[in-house]
Amino acid sequence: MAHDSHSGHHIVSQRVLITVFASLVALTVLTVITAQFVDIGVLNLPLALSIAGLKAMLVVTFFMALKYDNPMNSLILGIGVICVTVFLVFTLFDTAFRGDMPNVDSQTISDTEGRNLNQEAREAREESAGAQH
Amino acid sequence: MSEAVATAEQIHGHDDHPAHLQHHFVTSDQQFEASKMGMWLFLITEILLFSGMFVAYTVYRVWHPEVFQGVSSLLDWRLGGLNTIVLLASSFTVAMSIHFAQKNNQKGLVINLVITLLCACIFLVVKYFEYTGKFSHGIFPGIAYHPHGDYAVYDIPYAGQFFSIYYIMTGIHGFHVLVGIGVFIWITIRAIKGDFTSAYYTPVELTGLYWHLVDIIWIFLFPLLYLI
Amino acid sequence: MSATQTVGTESGRSVSAPVNYLNHDKSIKGWLYTVDHKRIGLMYLATVSIAFLVAGLLALAVRTELFSQGRTIMDADTYNQFFSLHGIMMVFLFIIPSIPAALGNFVMPIQIGAKDVAFPRLNLASYYIFVIGGVLAVTGILVGQIDTGWTFYTPYSSRLGAPVLFLTSAVFIAGFSSILTGLNFIVTIHKMRAPGLTWNRLPLFVWSIYATSIVQVLATPVIGITMVLLFMEKALQIGIFDPALGGDPVLFQHFFWFYSHPAVYIMILPAFGIISDLIGTFSRHEVQGYKFVALSSVAIAFLGFLVWGHHMFVSGQSVVSSIIFSLLTYLIGIPTGVKVLNWVGTMYKGSISLQTPMLYALSFLILFTIGGLTGVMLGVLSVDVHLHDTYFVVAHFHYVMMGGTVIAALGGLHYWWPKMTGKMYNETNGRIAAVLIFIGFNVTFFTQFIMGSKGMPRRYYDYLPEFEIYHMISTIGSFLLAIGLFMAAGGLIASFWRGKKATSNPWKSLTLEWTHTTSPPDPHNFHHTPIVTRGPYDYHLAPEIFGEPGGDGAVVSAQPDTDPVQQ
Ligand SMILES: [Cu+2]
Repeated sequence: MAHDSHSGHHIVSQRVLITVFASLVALTVLTVITAQFVDIGVLNLPLALSIAGLKAMLVVTFFMALKYDNPMNSLILGIGVICVTVFLVFTLFDTAFRGDMPNVDSQTISDTEGRNLNQEAREAREESAGAQH
Repeated sequence: MSEAVATAEQIHGHDDHPAHLQHHFVTSDQQFEASKMGMWLFLITEILLFSGMFVAYTVYRVWHPEVFQGVSSLLDWRLGGLNTIVLLASSFTVAMSIHFAQKNNQKGLVINLVITLLCACIFLVVKYFEYTGKFSHGIFPGIAYHPHGDYAVYDIPYAGQFFSIYYIMTGIHGFHVLVGIGVFIWITIRAIKGDFTSAYYTPVELTGLYWHLVDIIWIFLFPLLYLI
Repeated sequence: MSATQTVGTESGRSVSAPVNYLNHDKSIKGWLYTVDHKRIGLMYLATVSIAFLVAGLLALAVRTELFSQGRTIMDADTYNQFFSLHGIMMVFLFIIPSIPAALGNFVMPIQIGAKDVAFPRLNLASYYIFVIGGVLAVTGILVGQIDTGWTFYTPYSSRLGAPVLFLTSAVFIAGFSSILTGLNFIVTIHKMRAPGLTWNRLPLFVWSIYATSIVQVLATPVIGITMVLLFMEKALQIGIFDPALGGDPVLFQHFFWFYSHPAVYIMILPAFGIISDLIGTFSRHEVQGYKFVALSSVAIAFLGFLVWGHHMFVSGQSVVSSIIFSLLTYLIGIPTGVKVLNWVGTMYKGSISLQTPMLYALSFLILFTIGGLTGVMLGVLSVDVHLHDTYFVVAHFHYVMMGGTVIAALGGLHYWWPKMTGKMYNETNGRIAAVLIFIGFNVTFFTQFIMGSKGMPRRYYDYLPEFEIYHMISTIGSFLLAIGLFMAAGGLIASFWRGKKATSNPWKSLTLEWTHTTSPPDPHNFHHTPIVTRGPYDYHLAPEIFGEPGGDGAVVSAQPDTDPVQQ
C-alpha cells in the first residue's frame, strides 16, 4: 500500500462527474416511473431496490472516489455492508419463521373446553397467509 | 498490508512542516490518509446506525406487506422525488467543489459549496412542508396515529408502525442534513478565507464523504418509503 | 495542546529530574485539556476505577442481601435496583472502557512506536463524552428506580418512568465515546506504526486492541439506534417493541444482542492481548503460534457478529434461527481454544517466573477456561433451555468477565504500573492479593455454577431453603474477593509514597514501551522514533539486546542516539 500514497489526491474529471450526475437523475426518473406508473407486480420491490443499489454504487465509486482511493477504504465499506446484511438476514431468520416449532403443533394443547388451540392458531395463520395472495 | 508509514521521518526534519501538519504525523500524506480512513470508519458507523431502522422496516414490512404498501401511498412521491433530485444535485456540487479545490480554483470551490448549502436547505424546507402536511391530517408516529377526514380509511392496524419508522428514519436523516448544513457553513467560510488549496483540502474532502453518505441513505429511503 | 508541545522541548535539559509526561506540566489545566494519550489513559483509569468501586460495592450489597433467606439488609425493590445498577455500571461504565480506553490508550501508541494516537483531540473528546454518559447514568439513578437489569428488555423498560430515558441516553452517549476510541485506534494502528513495525511484529496486545476496535466500530452504533428506538418507544409510544402497541419485544432482544454479544468481545479481546504479553514476558519465550494468536482475535471479532441469538433460545424466536445461532456459537470455541493452547504451549517451552502479573495471567488461564467451556455448554440448545436464567449463566459470565477481563486488567495494571507511574509496587502484597482474589473469586462463583445447575434462578430476591448454604458460601467468597481487590488497590496506591523508583524495563520485556522509553515515558513517548528490526517476543535474542545479565534492559541508554534530525 505504500506505493500509492498519493492515491487520495486523484482528481475526478468534470466530465465523469457530470455523466454520473446525469445517470443518477435518469435512474431516479426510472424508479419513479416503474414504481408509480408501470405495475410490474412482484418485481416492483426488487427492481426499486436494484436501482437504489445501482445509484448508491455510482455515488460511492465516483463521487466518493473509492475507485481511485486506497483499497483499504473499500474494504472498510465492504465490511460495514456485510455487517448490515448479517444483521438483517439473521434477524429475518427469526422474524420470517416465527412460530415454526413443529412438535408443538402436532401435540394437543387444550383449553378447558377441549379445543385444540394450536390447531386453531395454525389454521388462522394459514388463512391470513392465504388472504395476502 | 505492511505500509511502513513513518519512514519519512528520517528524511524530514521538523523545520519544513507545513502549517496544517500536526506534530505527531510525519508527512501531509500520512495525515490526509489517516483522516480519510477515520472518516470512512465513521461512515460505516453511520451505516450501521441506520441499519437498525432498515431492519425494523424490513421486519414489519415482511409481517404486514399489504399495510406498508397501502399507507406508503399517503406519502407524496413528487415531494420525495424532488428531494431526491435536490440531494443528488448537492452531492454533485460537493464533488465538484473537491474537484475545484484540487485544481486550486478558489471561485469554483466556493460557488459549489454555496450551491450545496442551498440544496441542503431546500431539502429541509420541503421536508418541513411534508411533515406539517402529514400532521394536519392526524398522521403522527405510533400511538398518536389518527388520520381523519379523507385519510380516515387509512386508520388501520400497523399503519402507525409504518409512520413511526417513517418519522424516525427521515427524522434522523434530517438531523444529519442539519448537521451537514452546519459543517458546510463552517467549510464555506474557511473556503472564502482561502484556507484550502490543492495541498490541503482535507476538511472539504471529509465533509464531502459525509454528505455523500447522507445522500446514499436517502437514495434507499426514497423508494422504500414513498414508492413501494 | 500548546503546553504539551512546548514544555517538553524547552525544559528538557535544564531540570535535574528528567522530564516525563507526569511532571512536565502539573497544572489542572494541563490535565483537563491534555491531548496526550498517556494522560487521557490515566484519566480513563481513574474514572473507570470509580465506576468499578461503586458497582463492586453494589455487588457486595446484593451478595449480602442474599446471604440468608428472606430480607437480610434491604427490601426487594432496592435489591432489584441494586443488581440492575451493578450490571449497567459494570458493563457500560467499567468493563467496556476499562482495558481499551485506559490501558490501551496508555500502552498501545507506545507499543507501536508512535508519538500519539492518530486523532489526539478526538481522543480527549471521547473521554469527555464518556464522562457525560457517566453523569447522565448517575442522574438517572438518582432520579428514580431502575430495575430492568442491564438488558433493558421491553416492554418492561419502555413502560418505566423517566429514569429509563436518562439511562438510555447515557448508554447512547457512552457508546459514542466507545465508537470514537475504536475508530481512533484502528487508524492509529494502520497509519502510525514506527518504521519496521510490520503487522507480523505487532505486540499481541496491539492486535487484540485492533480486533476490539473493529467490534466497537461495527457493533456500538446498533446499541445507539436501539437506545434511540427504546427512548422513542417510551416517549412517543411508537409501537416497535411494545406488544400492547403492536410491537415485538423479541425484536428488541435482537437489536440489543446484536450489540451486546459482540460487546462481550469488546470486553474479553483486550484481555487476551494482555495475557499474551504477560505470558510471553514472564515465560521468557516467544509466544507460540504468534500468527494464530493474532489472527484468532480478528476471527473472534467477526464470528462474534453471527451468534447473538444464543441469548434468546427461550425468547420465542424461531427454531430455525435458534439452531443456526447454536451451531455458530460452537465455532467461537475454535479460535478461543487456539489461544489457550498456544498460551499453555508458550509456558511449557519457556521458563516461568511467578511475579504478580504472571499470577494474574495464570488465574486468567484457569478461570477463563472454565468460563469459556461453560459458555459452549450454554450454547447447546437443549442444555440452555434448562440453564437459561439460572445462576449457572451468572457464574459463566462472571468467570469470563471478571475471571477473564478483570483479572487480565489487574495483571496488565500491575505489569504496566511501573511504566505509568515510575514506581514499583510491593511485590509480596501484590502476590498475596492475587492469590486471595483467585480464591475469593472461585468461592463466590463456582458455588453459583452448582446452585444454578440445581435450578436457582438469577435475579431473584428470595429463594428456597435448599439454596441457602450455597448463597452463604458465595457471599463469604465475595467478601474474600473484595478484601483481595482492596489489597491489590492498596498496594498499587501505596507505591506512590513507598514504592522504589522503577527502572525503564523492570520485567526485561522486549516491546517498545519497555525498551525504548523511560519510566514514566517522555511527553512525546520517545526522544527518537524507534526503528524496529525484530519481533515483539524474540526472547531468544535477549542476551544480545540486554547485554550482560542483570542490566536493566533499557535500550534507551545502551544504544547511543544516532538520529540527528530529531529535535
Ligand atoms: Cu453471547
